[in-house]
Amino acid sequence: MRFTARPAAAIMSLSLAAAVLAGCSEQAAGGNDAAAEGACQPSDVRLVGQVRNESNPYEASWLAGGDAYAKSVGLTQERLTYDGDSTKQQEQISQLLAGDTKCLVMNVLPNGDSDTAPIVKGADQAGAYLVTQWNKPADLDPADHRTWVSHITYNGVESGQQIGDALATAIGGNGGIIALQGILDTAAAKDRFAGLEASLKKNTGVKLLDQQAANFSRAEALTVTKTLLTKHGEHVKGIWAANDDMALGALEALQQQGLAGKVAVVGIDAVPDAVKAVQGGTMTATVSSDGAWQGGIGLAIGYCVATGKLAVKDIAAANRAFFAEQFLITKDNAADFVSPKTNPADFECANVFNRVAGPLT
Amino acid sequence: MTVTAGVTAAPRRRTRRGAAFRDAGPPVALVVIFGIFAALSPQFRSVDNVQNIVDAAAVLAVVTCGITFVLMMGSIDLSAAGVMGAAALTVSLLVANNRNDNDFGLLGILVAVLLGCAFGCLSGLALVLLKVPSFMATLGVSAVGLGVATLLFAGVQPNISDTMLKGWAIERFLGFSYLTWIAAACVLVGWLVQRYTRLGRYAFAIGGAEEVLTLSGVRVKPYKIAVFALAGAFYGLGGVMVTSQLGAGLVQAGDGYDFSAITAAVVGGTLLTGGRGGVLHSAVGVLLVMVLTNGLVQVGVSPYWQGGVEGLIVVAAVAAAVIPQRRRNQVVK
Repeated sequence: MRFTARPAAAIMSLSLAAAVLAGCSEQAAGGNDAAAEGACQPSDVRLVGQVRNESNPYEASWLAGGDAYAKSVGLTQERLTYDGDSTKQQEQISQLLAGDTKCLVMNVLPNGDSDTAPIVKGADQAGAYLVTQWNKPADLDPADHRTWVSHITYNGVESGQQIGDALATAIGGNGGIIALQGILDTAAAKDRFAGLEASLKKNTGVKLLDQQAANFSRAEALTVTKTLLTKHGEHVKGIWAANDDMALGALEALQQQGLAGKVAVVGIDAVPDAVKAVQGGTMTATVSSDGAWQGGIGLAIGYCVATGKLAVKDIAAANRAFFAEQFLITKDNAADFVSPKTNPADFECANVFNRVAGPLT
Repeated sequence: MTVTAGVTAAPRRRTRRGAAFRDAGPPVALVVIFGIFAALSPQFRSVDNVQNIVDAAAVLAVVTCGITFVLMMGSIDLSAAGVMGAAALTVSLLVANNRNDNDFGLLGILVAVLLGCAFGCLSGLALVLLKVPSFMATLGVSAVGLGVATLLFAGVQPNISDTMLKGWAIERFLGFSYLTWIAAACVLVGWLVQRYTRLGRYAFAIGGAEEVLTLSGVRVKPYKIAVFALAGAFYGLGGVMVTSQLGAGLVQAGDGYDFSAITAAVVGGTLLTGGRGGVLHSAVGVLLVMVLTNGLVQVGVSPYWQGGVEGLIVVAAVAAAVIPQRRRNQVVK
């Protein structure tokens, strides 16, 4: 037995190795051949959406948008969450890429800028179609890659300025405001605050009394706002918050100090509670990136390329990495944003780049 | 200034009076830091701001109360974040809210506290029966708590409309919010438990010399579980209080409370090695931390500097507090 077993094992492992090699070279050949790109049957496409966690309304609406899109093309979305843990995200991606990647479409929210590079590299080698959102290092460009179809992000300077202007209008262009910043070393916090500074330059009557970091957290914003309200008293006419969670924390603080409705509050992200607050008049404005659309669009772009309805080489350079359109929500249009929903027309292959607002700068 | 205050208070010999001096470090540091901020900023010393500091300290005080018992025992507890998240979601789904038709009021709050208690029990059982170090056991329980909270969250934020629970954060009695009075009651209860019940005395003894206690024929295991369960109940109440403040059940309700509570306890003079400190020490620690965060904003320290400055002052305050104790306990390790 022992004498026969070894050659048998050797033969088996050799043939296995040969099969693997054949598979690899076949795949590589197929990937390099431009004609093979987009050869997937619609039913063979595997859709994966990956976000940090499902414990906040924004990312929950992202995954819901992905589900809705997948359903519209008769597929289901695989939902992955990595709890904001970069290592866990990379593990999930490697596991995905270790399987059948021929018709794999991934819509990924990288945890931070530095997490994007390994994801892109893995997807490119495996030939999986990838759309990333929000985070990427400036020197990494989808145009240099074969299957990294697009990178989508939002212009934080613009949104910070939009709500800054809305706040200035709400307080009549005159008076003191306080600013609640996000986590100071994130691009989102920096860009949004730069937007506020730009708005302040334009609205000379508005004075920034104080700015404090509340780390995008509702609870921290509550405490910080209460402290700032005792510090500046009735000089505070408006509160600018770098996201809606902090804006909602500030609203609670105003309520506890008996100032509800007397101070204008603005935020960014359009979480459902904030949209309702805008609709009800307790909040002045917020900005929506449309999480449900984000969840659908990444899958839609990948699906269109995988099934051959779009070719990567035909996608304009400006559409490979772009700022997507965002929407200022005020009392007038809040009703349209109360429940996040997607419009199937946005995801048709001819329309997937309709929301391009400009190239990344 | 705080350092010198602590050093001069150091007794040469360990007498009964020495014990009083030894405990004086943190309160002296509190008074000194308060004095410095009050001198620098007129807004800081206003009545409004003092109310604000005490109100802001309420949740941390309750959580720290719980963690103090665990620390006294020489164990560590990192489950606060998860337990508070689970309790926050539970209570927000049980009182009047926008997700379902429940309206259990006080009963809902009680359930949330009991849930926290059960989580604490779980940590204790893992420690005692499965011999998992408390550090790992509680970290695991925290993850379980966050998991439960995420399941309950189910994509839609539950906003509470229960007037009583919302009122806790808004209504005031003698200038302080109801939450502050609840926290004060918790500190009082915690102190009574620590001072007058077998549970509290044994928690001290376990931290000081567990072997001696075991050799004297005391079965320490049930007390260990009970201490974790008590701590869990405090975290559960903490989660309820955060929900009252924010008006909504957040999975992240307890974010950061685990470490700030340990910081507050240690700043107040409760040692990580166990057997020293107590609820009142920790309460002073909580006030110290809150005075610091509030004061730095009031005197206008730039947010880019605050984190660092706060850390430095905390280290200085702890140093001042433990220098008198260093020779006797291995707090330096």
